[in-house]
Amino acid sequence: MAPRPTSHSDVSLNLALAVIASSTARLLLLDGDLTLIAASKSFCRAFQIDPVSVANCPLGKLGAGEWNVPQLNTLLTAAASGFAEVESYEIDLNRKGRESRRLVLNAQKLEYGNDDNVRLLLAVSDVTDARIAEKLKDDLVKEKAVLLQELQHRVANSLQIIASVLMQSARKVQSDETRTHLFDAHQRVMSVAAMQQQLAASSASDVALRPYFTALCKSIGASMIRDHNQLSLDVSADDSSSAADVSVSLGLIVTELVINALKHAFPGDRKGKIKVDYHSHGPNWALSVTDDGIGMPADAANVKPGLGTGIVEALTKQLQAVIKVTDAKPGTAVSVAHTQIAAVQMGEARAV
Amino acid sequence: MIVESEALIRMSAVHMVQDAGFSSLDVGNADDAIEILKDRRDVRAVFTDINMSGSMDGLKLAHAVRGRWPPIHLIVTSGLNMADKLPANGRFILKPYSAEQVAAVLSELFSSHPAPHRLFSDPGGNCAKVA
Repeated sequence: MAPRPTSHSDVSLNLALAVIASSTARLLLLDGDLTLIAASKSFCRAFQIDPVSVANCPLGKLGAGEWNVPQLNTLLTAAASGFAEVESYEIDLNRKGRESRRLVLNAQKLEYGNDDNVRLLLAVSDVTDARIAEKLKDDLVKEKAVLLQELQHRVANSLQIIASVLMQSARKVQSDETRTHLFDAHQRVMSVAAMQQQLAASSASDVALRPYFTALCKSIGASMIRDHNQLSLDVSADDSSSAADVSVSLGLIVTELVINALKHAFPGDRKGKIKVDYHSHGPNWALSVTDDGIGMPADAANVKPGLGTGIVEALTKQLQAVIKVTDAKPGTAVSVAHTQIAAVQMGEARAV
Repeated sequence: MIVESEALIRMSAVHMVQDAGFSSLDVGNADDAIEILKDRRDVRAVFTDINMSGSMDGLKLAHAVRGRWPPIHLIVTSGLNMADKLPANGRFILKPYSAEQVAAVLSELFSSHPAPHRLFSDPGGNCAKVA
């Protein structure tokens, strides 16, 4: 760097020159006519300017004239006169044989108390690479969103294929018992699908349980309740959300318990209500399905448990929860509850 | 008319539509659907998937049908919620859908124009032709 002959005894100018010389930022010090007084070494290095050529060089003639950008001239002249501010102003620097660079400019008029010695400090940052990186990141985020959508679409389509195959089979079989099993299997697939739909609808990885259980029960009700004036199926739940794997287990438990109640609690044309309830408090939660039907048979212990019971037991264990069946007088209440302390004890019991 | 590229889903959709009391016709892509619509006058509703190969997807088909054959009811399905991209008066069903959902949408669409309940008259001519 070669400062102008020190006709300026001004201390602050010397200070400014020293700061510019040692700065790693790309800085230019200009006078009111946009003639260079100094440039930082880093500026010269970054924009291939010979440091010797800097002093007294008009900005427009710097290098091969690539800094002669009309709007930059206007802007800096206005800034030097004090009636415009240059803050985060972006220009493209075009040089022959080189790729265009995107620059962000900030100019500061230095006040000396008189208007004769106007000084303008111009800071230049090259954001070309940062912008490319940003765009790349944006592209990746977009690509990820597209892939996720594609995946959700495929999952939904696959579930529809499975559900379709089960329904086709149910139409074809002769045995009522087999048909019932196939319908139940179909219902279980739709239960997993309802969770998937909730997950796809939200941007979070957690599933809001009230809308999920509500959609689930609507779907079960639509396919299994013939007369909605006879039987009602209601959901009450707090604003809890849970992770997708926990949610799908909870949903399958609800599905099994509701199907079970619909099949056994209301023989004939018995009227009744089924209520699904979920509440949580910190890590503890309780899920219950209560009906006001005919209650458990006296010899319940002797009845061979079906697939539904097996599913509920397996999932309850997986969720480190405990099942409790009580007489709701009338009807039956099945609750599945998880308490953190009990879960720790269960863990210890297993470890022994 | 059912437009669905996945054979098993198409088969199942045909049963759902028939169980809901309508006769049906089914094709595997939007181009075939357009060809049929050009030939026939008795298609009352189009039930289409969105993601399909061919020159147009189900959304384009739905818009094309709304533009050229405005009286035809439109039901569009997809694994992603595209309800906001549908043409006017189109109905959206999220995949996987159940027979009950299909029946409910069909009965809602046709309740304003009750008779005759035919999605598509059968080629044998057993069902009444609908203009």
